[in-house]
Amino acid sequence: MKIIGLDLGHRGTREAEHWLAHLPAVPGLVACTHLVHGERPRVVITVAVADDETLPPLRSTPDGGALDAAVADHEAGRGGRAVIYPGVEKLTGELTVAELLAASAIGRVRLLGAAVTEPEPDTVVDTRDFVRPQWMDGRLTLVATPAPAGRIAPFEVPNPTPCCGAEH
Amino acid sequence: MGHGHPHDHEHGHDHAHDHEPAEYSPVTDPAVADSELSPTDVTRRRFLRGAGLLGAGAAAAAAGAFATPELAAAGDAPAPLGRSWQGHNRREGLLWLSGDHHIHTQYSSDGQYRVIDQVRHANAYGLDWMVITDHGSVTHAKIGVEKVNPDIVAARAEVKDTLVFQGFEWNIPAAEHGTVFVHPGRNEVAVLKEFENTFDGVVTATTDSTPTNEALAISGVTFLGSAVSSRRVQDALFLANHPARKGIDSPHELRGWRDANPRIAIGFEGAPGHQAAGIPAPNGPGGGRGAYDFAPSAASFPAYPLESYRTWGGFDWMTATVGGLWDSLLAEGKPWWITANSDSHQIYADNAVRGGGDFNANGRYDDPVYGGGPLATTNFDFWPGFYSRTHVGATDFSYAAVMAGLRAGRVWVDHGGLINGLDVTVRAGGRSVTLGDTLVARRGTPASLTITIDLATTPNWAQFIPTLARVDLIRGAVTGPAADRDVFTAPATKVVHSFEVNKATGQVTLSYDLGPVSDAFYLRLRGTDGKRSAPGFLGAAVDPMGPAMDVVGSADPWLDLWFYTNPIWVLPAR
Repeated sequence: MKIIGLDLGHRGTREAEHWLAHLPAVPGLVACTHLVHGERPRVVITVAVADDETLPPLRSTPDGGALDAAVADHEAGRGGRAVIYPGVEKLTGELTVAELLAASAIGRVRLLGAAVTEPEPDTVVDTRDFVRPQWMDGRLTLVATPAPAGRIAPFEVPNPTPCCGAEH
Repeated sequence: MGHGHPHDHEHGHDHAHDHEPAEYSPVTDPAVADSELSPTDVTRRRFLRGAGLLGAGAAAAAAGAFATPELAAAGDAPAPLGRSWQGHNRREGLLWLSGDHHIHTQYSSDGQYRVIDQVRHANAYGLDWMVITDHGSVTHAKIGVEKVNPDIVAARAEVKDTLVFQGFEWNIPAAEHGTVFVHPGRNEVAVLKEFENTFDGVVTATTDSTPTNEALAISGVTFLGSAVSSRRVQDALFLANHPARKGIDSPHELRGWRDANPRIAIGFEGAPGHQAAGIPAPNGPGGGRGAYDFAPSAASFPAYPLESYRTWGGFDWMTATVGGLWDSLLAEGKPWWITANSDSHQIYADNAVRGGGDFNANGRYDDPVYGGGPLATTNFDFWPGFYSRTHVGATDFSYAAVMAGLRAGRVWVDHGGLINGLDVTVRAGGRSVTLGDTLVARRGTPASLTITIDLATTPNWAQFIPTLARVDLIRGAVTGPAADRDVFTAPATKVVHSFEVNKATGQVTLSYDLGPVSDAFYLRLRGTDGKRSAPGFLGAAVDPMGPAMDVVGSADPWLDLWFYTNPIWVLPAR
């Protein structure tokens, strides 16, 4: 796997995703966002392709500790929130868990706030057209929660409530 | 010792307890030097201090009810006694006054109502006290903080049985929002304005979660303490709002605010407002209850789990988790109280709409107007008093008494009018205390808990009478100040007993034997309509039937009701 890290100073995942939307398509490409906490909170990006593919012509930004850690997390499959990954374009509307796993690089679905942590294969996922799995235990894992009408939905909603007060 | 007032409670329950609310203790009086105390009392004071129950803030906790010698003498004073208290007698000498410290008006860029609109509704729905908390902002600091004051003063004159405080919603540097409010008086606007201009995160561009900005927040708490000690204002309080919503109130920040001045920074919202946000579409907004629908960001405290970003039975995860963050604060033996508020901005299914106008130029929107169109089912708030209530045990119907009651932690909260009234008493060795207070008894003294609940007898504002199904007793060890300021679990806290309440009307008295007093501990209570429960976040061994995580898009607030109390501590004397 070839992987690069980019620290473009994005304040949030929204800005990072906006930037990622302009990446040229490369088969098998996985692009992730990583949160950097501390004195300069920001979001950094990692982009990975298989060894026999060509990375988009990106210039990797100077290495810092946070960026190295993000690259290492992505490489090890233990951290990073995937925005671009094989099959993401097929994850729209409603799909069963089995269909979602078959159509994309997502390796498993894990439930929060429910009686069980593993949904049934025929459980319907309301994708809300926004599916952002995370690298956990070497697999792209979609964290989901119960949703109306017996369905489940990704934990992360596409359009969180605007923070109270337009100026904040 | 009895009370100086009759106990002809309308439910006929015998309230002749051995309660000593008026007792003064030199041990907890900071004005009394160690050298003036008996050796026994010096030992007791050292113990209290060691347990974190004495000090600037314990004063608040340990003093509790007995810091008010006028309490027993107050008797049944003539009216007004507050909106909800007409026709009732005092309970153990206290008026339990319902309130809300988180309410927006047309002076917020995302609000719309007049002050008097909020006050009249709060009054109609039974609130005795309320705090107007428009958002801190450049516009508010420049115009709104002053311009709203005459509206508040007029509302005080027009609606006499609801106390209306002026406050504002502080953008805490590096953190979430918080309610800051002061006792009415000559300098109420001046102090709020100076505070906002100096310490508001938006006004000073210090919202980023950095150590430098965190330090500014601490300075803000200190400023409020100075404003009181220098008598610019008679009193001031700060409570953190929707603390777990975005994961940006880290445990060390909460501890930092508390320890900076525990007489000012007294707690957080146990339940956020926006409780209509989870009503399913198309009849409601179909969002996350409490408007808790966020995910971690770079500003978040990284160790908070994803579950913390959702409400649980309408309550914030920090409070709803038995053995969780709130308990980790209580286990330190330091006061930190919870409240429940509306965060009212725009009311669910209202037919008024924002009046327009230039908010930035005028510091407010024009008055709201009748919309005439479809009801606003995507609005996600309830009117103050309609759903969320913070009940404060006050010695009198006054601004000062409400603030003192909040500071003392004589507070319980409920949703949807789950119960009408609550009296919690811990007794040992002929002494007794209530919520927020500390009982000190000799080791080996038998201790007991009595809970008297007035069940709901009148319909709530969804026009049904809720039924209390269960009351859970939560007990935790006092383990002293946290070595790790970012800890958010209390492993020695769990549900120790559940009372099934098999009664629909009238009064219920529940008793529990706490055993002989040995090591320091605290108790708190939680009750529910029993409609929605699940094992707690830390597992069934800690909390077998706690609130369930609310489902985004499907959380009818009227079908999942809870009440929570603040704690009582029991300490061994030496």
